[in-house]
Amino acid sequence: MAMEKVDLTKIKPYGDTLNDGMTQLSFTLPVPYGEEAKEAARKLVLKMGLQEPSIVEAKDLGIGYTYFVVYGKCQHTVDYSNIQVSKVEVDTMEKEEVEEYIESNIGRDIVIIGACTGTDAHTVGIDAIMNMKGFHGHYGLERYNGVEAYNLGSQVLNEELVAKAIELKADAILVSQIVTQKDVHIPNLTQLIELLEAEGIRDKMVVVCGGPRLSHELAKELGYDAGFSTGNYAEDVASFIVEEMVKRKLV
Amino acid sequence: MQLMDLIRYKYKTISVVGMAKNAGKTVTLNRLLEEAAEKNVIVGLTSIGRDGEKQDVVTNTEKPTIYVMENTIIATTEDCLSRSDARLEILEVTDYATAMGRVVICRVKSGGLIEIAGPDTNSEIREVAIKMRFYGAEVVLIDGAINRKTTASPSITEATILATGAVISRDIDRVVEETAHQINLFNIPAVEDEDMKSLVASLMEDKGYCIIDQKGNVKVLDIKTAINNGMNIGRALTEDSVYVVLKGSLVTKTLEDIMTVTEAYKNVTFVLKDATKIFIEPKDWRFFMKRGFKIKVLEKINALLTTLNPYAPQGYQFDPKDFCKRMKKNLTLPVIDVMLEEEDLDE
Repeated sequence: MAMEKVDLTKIKPYGDTLNDGMTQLSFTLPVPYGEEAKEAARKLVLKMGLQEPSIVEAKDLGIGYTYFVVYGKCQHTVDYSNIQVSKVEVDTMEKEEVEEYIESNIGRDIVIIGACTGTDAHTVGIDAIMNMKGFHGHYGLERYNGVEAYNLGSQVLNEELVAKAIELKADAILVSQIVTQKDVHIPNLTQLIELLEAEGIRDKMVVVCGGPRLSHELAKELGYDAGFSTGNYAEDVASFIVEEMVKRKLV
Repeated sequence: MQLMDLIRYKYKTISVVGMAKNAGKTVTLNRLLEEAAEKNVIVGLTSIGRDGEKQDVVTNTEKPTIYVMENTIIATTEDCLSRSDARLEILEVTDYATAMGRVVICRVKSGGLIEIAGPDTNSEIREVAIKMRFYGAEVVLIDGAINRKTTASPSITEATILATGAVISRDIDRVVEETAHQINLFNIPAVEDEDMKSLVASLMEDKGYCIIDQKGNVKVLDIKTAINNGMNIGRALTEDSVYVVLKGSLVTKTLEDIMTVTEAYKNVTFVLKDATKIFIEPKDWRFFMKRGFKIKVLEKINALLTTLNPYAPQGYQFDPKDFCKRMKKNLTLPVIDVMLEEEDLDE
């Protein structure tokens, strides 16, 4: 097995053979298609530190732009054995176990509201967690007994979300942020926390954020109880919420 | 100018809040720690976010580290303990859980670099500050997170320092405008009349939202938040109304909605708990002030000074001296660039 030869203290990309460093890049340069453009792309990739760059695809995008796919060999390695990432520590329960946990430890229906906030119109994340039909064979929160789930949809203003949370006496808020260009998600996420603090209800609810560029570590800095990224399902989020509610005596 | 002179013997808890990420909170914090060490002030240190890590988790840019001297009291999380090289004595493991583990209170036994990440919420921060004072900290410094400013609330910290910088915008005028706006909010005066102040305070505590008229009659508003209730507040105003008590936040739409239903807002004073409740942009704020809104607070924020960072991680910078000059012209607070030499505060 190839695995036996891998030195975890020095890993690098795998292409055709172990440790060949083969890496594929794609990017666009604001220059017209031609041999000069290809040379520019090749030089740029060399500057990035990739060796033996080869332009395998160059396409004219019109109006003076060219798109490239380039292969090159990465010379750097990473010590995988020494990596630490903080993840949400939760004993994930199955849907039925969460339902049972709510019944025996909380004893009432819990209210969870979710939204894509700010300018973000991409509901794929929040829908995957909340929608009844769920995602990838994992049912969403709307299907859980003991959970009143409200999905407010996209482009919800933070203040609307807070007003709704107060009106519905929410136990937990889920915020999804998919669009993160120029880091717009950062001030948008902190503003929600600041509003909850100003309304005096931050301590009374579990607040969770999720999205491809969110991590549990960043969630701490933003003021959230947890941050979920790709690869998490409704039961992970639900397990965290109900366990956190019991831990913080919010039942 | 010694920043500690503005603090020592006057305030026991200080928050350092920023207009944005990379506005220079850590540099300001380090200056305070340095001065405290020179004066033998025992400092308590925690953060509502995190600080002292070598690399920013959003921009991957390098960040200033934090060095603490012997005897400093710190509140940080379990995860951060393992990444700090100062020798620490654990005084208490608290129940406050964060995404980075439980919050632990420690005393520094020998100086070194640390990472700090304290509790996530304001009320927990306040309690941890009390604990650190109990363990011997003379002054407790609360580091802010990103652009979160609610730790500046007088119910959490007694005084505050605002860090601002080029990171806000490439346009220097916009940086000045936004910072000046924040300082203006911090400086919103408290209700002066002591009797009225205590009446408002108790109403805010018990009823949350109400209107007081000239004769002292109180009309309680049946709302749980001012958000989306601007019209209800506006319709409840009469010619006799004098004060409107609002417990929670104040957002632009609330004032807009009030304007659409009544003119009576011109005769009343809106009273908020403190200025951290206000979520209104500079342009909207100017408009509302022009239209005659009067807003006061119960507890005024003690904003001590503004610190400047003329460098932005996006890769541009302002001329430090010019930036400092413009800020001083437009701000009603002392301004200092902690990396520039002394000249500034003393003039």
